[in-house]
Parts: sequence; C-alpha cells; structure tokens
Amino acid sequence: MEELVKKRIKQVLKGDQNAFGEIVEIYKDKVFHVCFRMLGNRQEAEDISQDAFIRAYINIHTFDIDRKFSTWLYRIATNLCIDRIRKKKPDYYLDAEVTGTEGLTMYSQIPVDERLPEEEVESMELQDTIQKEISKLPDKYRSVIVLKYIEELSLKEISEILDLPLGTVKTRIHRGREALRKQLRTV
Amino acid sequence: MKTCPDKMVQYMHEYLDEELPQEQETELKLHIQQCEACRIHFHELKKTIALVQSTSHISAPSNFTEGVMSRLPKEKKKIGIQR
Repeated sequence: MEELVKKRIKQVLKGDQNAFGEIVEIYKDKVFHVCFRMLGNRQEAEDISQDAFIRAYINIHTFDIDRKFSTWLYRIATNLCIDRIRKKKPDYYLDAEVTGTEGLTMYSQIPVDERLPEEEVESMELQDTIQKEISKLPDKYRSVIVLKYIEELSLKEISEILDLPLGTVKTRIHRGREALRKQLRTV
Repeated sequence: MKTCPDKMVQYMHEYLDEELPQEQETELKLHIQQCEACRIHFHELKKTIALVQSTSHISAPSNFTEGVMSRLPKEKKKIGIQR
C-alpha cells in the first residue's frame, strides 16, 4: 500500500494530477472518518477532509518520501479539525450536534416509511449518544481518543501525527478516557 | 471509598495501554477483587472503550474524490487525461 502511494506521489511531483486522485481514493474514507468523529458533523467533516487533501496536494513537495504518508496526511487533517473546533463559537456546538445527528441518520440511508427493528433504533441512538459525548471532549483529548480507539493507531504513531511527546499522548489518553468514563457511565 | 491508593487508577490506564508490568498487574487485580469502587471504575473504563469502538465506520460521501480534484489548483496540470 505505502509503496503504491509513494509511486503515485512521485507521479504527482512530476505534475500528474490524476495520480493524486488515486491517493484520495485510497485515503478518503479514513480521513473523512477521523474528521467526522472529531467534528461530529458530516458537512463540516466533508469540507475539512477535502481541505486536508488539497493542502496535502499543495504541500506534497514537503513530504519526506521515507516516512509514512498516512501519518503526514492524518497530521494535516487533525490540525485542520483542531483549528475548526477552536474557531467555533461555543453556542455553535448545539447546532453542530443536531446536524451531526441528522447526518448519522442520513448516512444509514433507510427509507422514511420503513419501520426499524427496535434494537436497530436503539443502536443508532447509542451511536448518536457516543458521538455527542466524544464531541464534548476538549479537542486535545478528543484527537487522541479518536486516533487511538476509532482509527486504532499506536501511541507512537499518534505522537508523530500530533507532534507531541509520547508521554503527553499517554497522559491525554488517560484523561480523555476518564472524562469519557464519567460522561458514558450511565449509558 | 477514597482510601484506595491513587496509583490504582494509574495502573488501570497503564493496563489499558498494555504497558503495566506483570508485578503491578497482579497488584491491580488483587486490589480490584477486594475493592468494589475500583472494580466499578475499571469496568466503566473498559465499557467506555467498548462503546467508543462500537461506533460504526462511515465512508466519505459519494463524489468526494471528484470534489477534491475539482478544487485542486490548476497550474500543475501538465499531463494526464480528463475524466
């Protein structure tokens, strides 16, 4: 996978824009998913993940070909998400959550007139609840929790993505888990 | 309830990160057997992780790649075929 991506990057560097399309195809779901879990809103996640790819394209010459491309790409995406979260006004959060909920429902793509089995509704409600609680975490805890438990990345890779010492990543994961534990204990 | 050593919660987290040495793991397990508050705490942490991991994987919207490609700066387009 990484080899194919590196080949495509070299093509992009030579000016072949279509080769970048293949890179987007390979990583779009992962990047979108991280952004969605960070932002809790499909529209924002789409905007930010597209921005991340565009930024990667523009800065592709700064990518060190001997490193892992996904780490670099995740770094761009998480930085953009954190910027977006910090720019949001606090009263915007409520809107974002409502939109996020709609997004999840839309995503499930179930016709409106079709009745859902009860457990499926419960599980969708549970998914919404979990996403809302993730969205309530301060961004520094949210990013580590998303990367560790949703993307299943190693602590070392997370420290590279976020450009933080390993010890800081561990502390944030511990605190993020404690915060979420308090929020989710009654679920 | 508050008589437990603080290090027990630290041990729980190190255990969850698969970084707790064997000796401390034994200490933690023995403590959890005896202390209900810590047992609940540990259970809640594991439940939290399970809940977060239970969130479904979602895919990028359709036309995502086309969206990105249409927004790329044009000047670098030298070779390649238009789709």
